[in-house]
Amino acid sequence: MSDSDNSILFDSLKGIQLEGVFEGSIITRCRDDNDSIIFSDNLKISSSEGIFITEGFRVGFELNYNKKIAFSRKIEAQWYEDFESIEYSILISEDIMQIYDDGQFSDAFPYTLNKLNTAALFLEDYQYGINHLEFFKGEMLRNPVAVVCDGVIVADRVVIDERIDPVFYDCLIVGRDEKEDLSVSFEPYMNIKKSLTDVKYILILGIEELKL
Amino acid sequence: MILHENSEARLLNIIKWGNNPFKKFVSTSEIKEELDLEKSRDNLIKNIKSIVKQNNNFILPIIGSVGSGKTHLFWALKNNLYYYNTFYISLESVYKKFFYNIYSEFIENLGMGPLKFVINQLCENWGALEKRYGFFHVVDIEKVKQTAFEQLSTKYYEIDHETIIDAINGITIHQLDPYKKIEAERWLLGKLMDVKELSTLNLSYDLHKGKNAYILLRLLIENSKLGTILFIDDFEKIIKIMKPEDDGLEEVFDPSWLYGSKLSPNDIASEKVFTKIIQLQKIEGLRVIITLKSIESLEQIKKKYQNLDSELLSMIKEPLFLNNFSEDDIFEFYKNTMNSFYDSIECNEFTQAFENPYYPLNKLTLKSIFEHTEGNPRAIIKILIKIFNELIDDEENFDSILKKYENRVK
Repeated sequence: MSDSDNSILFDSLKGIQLEGVFEGSIITRCRDDNDSIIFSDNLKISSSEGIFITEGFRVGFELNYNKKIAFSRKIEAQWYEDFESIEYSILISEDIMQIYDDGQFSDAFPYTLNKLNTAALFLEDYQYGINHLEFFKGEMLRNPVAVVCDGVIVADRVVIDERIDPVFYDCLIVGRDEKEDLSVSFEPYMNIKKSLTDVKYILILGIEELKL
Repeated sequence: MILHENSEARLLNIIKWGNNPFKKFVSTSEIKEELDLEKSRDNLIKNIKSIVKQNNNFILPIIGSVGSGKTHLFWALKNNLYYYNTFYISLESVYKKFFYNIYSEFIENLGMGPLKFVINQLCENWGALEKRYGFFHVVDIEKVKQTAFEQLSTKYYEIDHETIIDAINGITIHQLDPYKKIEAERWLLGKLMDVKELSTLNLSYDLHKGKNAYILLRLLIENSKLGTILFIDDFEKIIKIMKPEDDGLEEVFDPSWLYGSKLSPNDIASEKVFTKIIQLQKIEGLRVIITLKSIESLEQIKKKYQNLDSELLSMIKEPLFLNNFSEDDIFEFYKNTMNSFYDSIECNEFTQAFENPYYPLNKLTLKSIFEHTEGNPRAIIKILIKIFNELIDDEENFDSILKKYENRVK
């Protein structure tokens, strides 16, 4: 399901920049070495001051000594004065969020694994690559976030199938269409073939860190 | 003509194999009635519908003599008010474990889907669906329970805290703790549970005990998007118990030895049931329809309300009357039942096959039956069953059977 009521607040590629204070479910993709993503319920855009996010949650991978580790951090308040460091910010419509919320409270799969701390499941990197998919084959993990090509997938759960490919359930997908326009959709499930898709990373959000 | 004769012979043969189109003369809450009410009763249904739409809380007395179709009316209401959760109780069957039995009936009618929806709504009201960072539901069950307790202990101040805590625990665990959901669901459905199961859920009692069923009934009805209609059949049973016993009767066992001189065990039991019915009426959004046999019973009930809780007296609506069949009704009823019978034996062609639309009976016989029974539906069905049974038994010629019934009435 896709919905045209989503608001593209900022898109560096298409030159979209809505000014004002926005509240709701907002995904911001950063343009940095960590390919990080920020989830927040509020965001302020001002042409003079840049993008201001309070009470956000930033996730991605960072280099720590000689290995890359998944991280998730609460952002108390952060100014991005330089618009160059943000690729896009999109406010997801209430209708899509309603369906996404219903999926989160589905009781069809009660025995899903939760990770206490944010952990890497997969990272495509020539030097620091990580692949725990085989280890979790047949398991169902809660709160996965993935970056695939230009898009972001936020799902309720992910299952690693027999071919060691991830299958995301009840997922929000933010991405660009053939005209490079940003769009958001909800899918009950989505199978990603690693061999055919440019999966940059998959991480599992830690429930304890979400509580912080 | 030959075609007609063939069809008539075929129908008689089918009936003679033992297929009586009129099978039961008493309607029950367990077996669904497919036939709708007769046209003369359309106004009654319209009036009830309008009262139900305009009021959230009321007691609506329906008065009708024995066999006038009061229980059948329940099925007609259930079909007509399908967007309400309409459920039936008979005071005889819910006498003991009153709230638990009513809760069981309520849940059975409501179904699992709407039940889960209401529970989800309750938890949302208690703050369970708060999102962190715009996307993630991180549930703090203890915080949700605390919010729920603050809300409910104020609203339901007359209910003891242990009962409220049990209700909150059961609901929040079912909605928010996937590892204990199955056990919590059993509790919600009113299953008997042992101490070990209850302690896993951090609950004191299952729904059989105390007022647990009452608080859940109240929470579910008050938060249900569907309106709720409780149909209490033969409500005067409660008055009969309350009537003073005949002094002339000799009793081997004197109940006053156990219960004191003023009240008999029946009186005490009826008082208890009456008090519980009054508690039910405090549930917002619960519409109660009661059936009674006479206006005198209604007056007695009103007196009882006057004594116990006069405020609730204003909730009792003006009674509606369920009259006996009119003459046209018997013809309509007979035709509808026969059509339903043809449908059940997969011979729908019979509906148009006969010159006499009331075949194998005729208009005169039906009219005679109507006059003999004064239009009482149960008495009419009893006679129709008898006629068809005689036809099946083949003791006499069918014409002579019909003549016998026509003459009997004359």
